[in-house]
Amino acid sequence: MAAYIAGDKAAFRELFRRYTPLLQRAMARDLRSAEEANDLVQQTFLHLHRSRLDFEPGRKLKPWIFTIALNLKREHFRRSKRRRETSLEDDRVGEPFEGPRGQERSDASREMTRALLTLPAEHREVIELHWFGGLSFPEVAEAVGSTVSAVKVRAHRGYVALRARLGDAAPDPESRDEGKPSVAESK
Amino acid sequence: MMDCSEIRDQFLSGELPPEERVKEHLAGCPQCRALFERDAELGRSLAAQVSQTLPFSEDFFAQIDKTLEQETGPRAWLRSRPSGLRFALVLLPLLLLLLAGGVLWQRADFEHYPLLRVLLLLCAYGVAIMLAFGKELSESPRHAPLRDYLGLLAFALFVPALAAFAPATEASLHTPSGGVSGAFGCFAYGALFTLPIAALLWAFDRNDRPSLRTACLSAAALGLSANLLLELHCSKGGPEHVLLGHASLGLVWLAAWIVTSRVSRGP
Repeated sequence: MAAYIAGDKAAFRELFRRYTPLLQRAMARDLRSAEEANDLVQQTFLHLHRSRLDFEPGRKLKPWIFTIALNLKREHFRRSKRRRETSLEDDRVGEPFEGPRGQERSDASREMTRALLTLPAEHREVIELHWFGGLSFPEVAEAVGSTVSAVKVRAHRGYVALRARLGDAAPDPESRDEGKPSVAESK
Repeated sequence: MMDCSEIRDQFLSGELPPEERVKEHLAGCPQCRALFERDAELGRSLAAQVSQTLPFSEDFFAQIDKTLEQETGPRAWLRSRPSGLRFALVLLPLLLLLLAGGVLWQRADFEHYPLLRVLLLLCAYGVAIMLAFGKELSESPRHAPLRDYLGLLAFALFVPALAAFAPATEASLHTPSGGVSGAFGCFAYGALFTLPIAALLWAFDRNDRPSLRTACLSAAALGLSANLLLELHCSKGGPEHVLLGHASLGLVWLAAWIVTSRVSRGP
């Protein structure tokens, strides 16, 4: 990033190569087309360019880029007045766009996408950033402007809800674990 | 031996190493073992999602590179300045205008105006203006909820309106109420002097289309700035004069920003 700020174009290309796949995966979950996802990725790099002098040396770049991307995605949804929760009734949701190079998504994958879309935004956001954006939990916390404990609790609740939606009817072991603090409480 | 909270911490972080200590704990703890078995299943499903890459156009980098090459000219330079500098560059003209307004075009009853009221107004308006400018021009990692900046907008719209019904000061009792016709002059004064600040805010905005957040914060900051300038300039205290000539400025700036957002191109 320091080289890029200093005007090294090759450094920007390297940033692009490194972060574009991560951003696309994180963006693509709830957008309907590859074009929309790519447009937001493009906007993210444009904002990164405009904000580059705000970047403090020594700071982690990945959470910073994802903060920009998240804010752009939220603004995108606000503008289009399309909320993921309500758009579930749309047949196209859960299969936002064609898979890579003609690959078809498996039924399990489709189910997972649908299940993710049913999660509350704050739970889904941290799971998506962690699994699809490749951020560690401290990085997720930095990106969403929260604490590590809080994002872990959100992720845990998201996992529990995901399991329930994916048909795992087994009760959460913690609910049987009388007298022991829950994960949320133990933070 | 690791305890349950350590184990679950690692589970939640998604980075569990296959350590002997973990295995040892899992062997003796059915609760954690159940948690991990189910997580393994979930992890496999999520990992399957991650392995799906999206269509990647070879031209994509070229498109972005071309967009960045178009980032030239005065606005591109201004909007890429560090947030602290942009904040200072917006506040500086406002401070100069307030100083000039307070000295060169001060209100007729300025000498009789209660000092405490001036200080109270300066503090309340000053803090709100700084907050609005600061929030708008910062690169905050925390995405503030809508209510955070709607609160500032409400303050900017309602406090000047409330001033129309505030008890008259000893000084304002001796000045004419101004009426509707005088309100136009005050409106023009407030709008004219906040116009350069509005232009700066527009130039500094890193979005091609102002967002709702930008519209609310800009209207709040500009409305309050205009009312503060007018408070130092105009001694007329009639409710219709204050509502039409002073308080309406925040609303007009909000409308102007929304129109700018509608007519601007860009995502």
